[in-house]
Amino acid sequence: MKTELPIERVLAWRVAQAEADAPPAPRAARLLELSRAWWERWPESFERLVTQLGSIRVNYGHAMVAEPRGRGYPVPAIVARTNVEIGSLAEILYFNVASARLRLRFQVQPPLDPAEPQLEVTFIAVDGPRPLFVAPAVLAPSGEYRVDAELPEALARAWAEIKVTDRMPFRFVLREATPP
Amino acid sequence: MPPTHPAPGSEPDYGANSRRPDGSQGDSVTRLMEQATALLAAGVSARAGNDEPGASKLFDDALAFALNAAELCKLKDITGKQIDALLTGARCAACSGHADTVREIIDSVSALGGDFESGEWAQLRDIDLWPDEWLVAAVRRNPPDERALDVLAQRYWKKLFARCQMLTVDREKAADLAQEAWCRVLRGRGSLKPGGNFPAYLAMIATNLWRDQHRSSLRAGEMAASRMTSLDLEAPSADGTLLTLAEAIPDLPALEAEARAKLKLDLDDALARLTPLSRDILVARFIDGESCAEIGRRYERTEQTISGWLRRAIQDMKSFLREAPHGAG
Repeated sequence: MKTELPIERVLAWRVAQAEADAPPAPRAARLLELSRAWWERWPESFERLVTQLGSIRVNYGHAMVAEPRGRGYPVPAIVARTNVEIGSLAEILYFNVASARLRLRFQVQPPLDPAEPQLEVTFIAVDGPRPLFVAPAVLAPSGEYRVDAELPEALARAWAEIKVTDRMPFRFVLREATPP
Repeated sequence: MPPTHPAPGSEPDYGANSRRPDGSQGDSVTRLMEQATALLAAGVSARAGNDEPGASKLFDDALAFALNAAELCKLKDITGKQIDALLTGARCAACSGHADTVREIIDSVSALGGDFESGEWAQLRDIDLWPDEWLVAAVRRNPPDERALDVLAQRYWKKLFARCQMLTVDREKAADLAQEAWCRVLRGRGSLKPGGNFPAYLAMIATNLWRDQHRSSLRAGEMAASRMTSLDLEAPSADGTLLTLAEAIPDLPALEAEARAKLKLDLDDALARLTPLSRDILVARFIDGESCAEIGRRYERTEQTISGWLRRAIQDMKSFLREAPHGAG
């Protein structure tokens, strides 16, 4: 027999079925292990990459003269790929923080070859080996990477006034990421 | 670490004036308990006012007063009052997330032959009965209390998974998304609000993660395709909930197991064929109960536009169900 059903009832029915079919909940220990950031899991690796970041020098004056198109300062970046870590620069093309979301575009110089469709960007403080935030960056057809992610409250406040032409308070560790 | 408190038997400043003429400390216990109770109440108010650091400090102070009162009672061998003080202490410890301290207090009371059958002791003793507030407070500490986390994860896993299933329409992806939502919550656990609506927060994190993964296809530009635009011009339905999947779905209660399984597959197939945005607004409207105006604010669209999108999504669902391979339509 067919009958007329409100959509919320149909969807609620499907939700109830999904609840009944749910796999077992993961254990706390597993969740805690999974939630550890990569720099906590592999501190030696983090220390090595941050040391390498510290050795990358950026000639800011030259960078701004050579780049008169309203783009921002380059930031030191380490590209960490399987078996190879390359010191590089990331040219900031766009930076905006609104409603606690960061929208950022950057280009790796020289461009990655082959390009990674997605990178995991770890923002490291400029004044010490402090990881600030991690977010995925997706490769755009233009060859630039785009970050669009929710910021922790403290960073959202601290970065709210930053303009693309300001010196950025972070450096990058760029790691390969599996696309979702 | 639980808060420190004055050495057992020492007379704290706040109790000095309450010494009786005969030198007894009976009133000191009362004063300590009054202080503990007042601080506990202030902590509850601070938490309700979203001042979590303030609340945490007040609960810790209240715990210190209550434990000190209990120690004084122990010295004076007044077991009844000692158990009362420990109950207040356990309450404070639970509110501030000191799950280990709660367990230690339970052990002390057990040694005193306390009655755990009464409602509050029974609740304190069985972590499965703890309200979200206590569990979240215990999880936000560093390190988090694993038993509290286990209970919290268990309590909301099915609901979280179901939401993720509706969004991803894929069992494995749903489990991954639910797990990732938990990881995201745990990474930022220091900012959790024990007084907040935890399951709603968890659901929001999962939904935001899923939206982030589909951000490009959720952009309004893509949805402002011509077929949607024409609907935007139509008068909205007075109440979106009156929209039905008329004649497309059989009567749910009358379904046999096999038919239920087929309907599930057909519904999933129809949901999967929707755009991520259509799925998002269906879930937001009909599962979360968000109004079209609320959804509109998120997408920077008018209520009428969202209403039009919803009608279109439902029409799509209907037509997908009519084409359903397992015969739901």
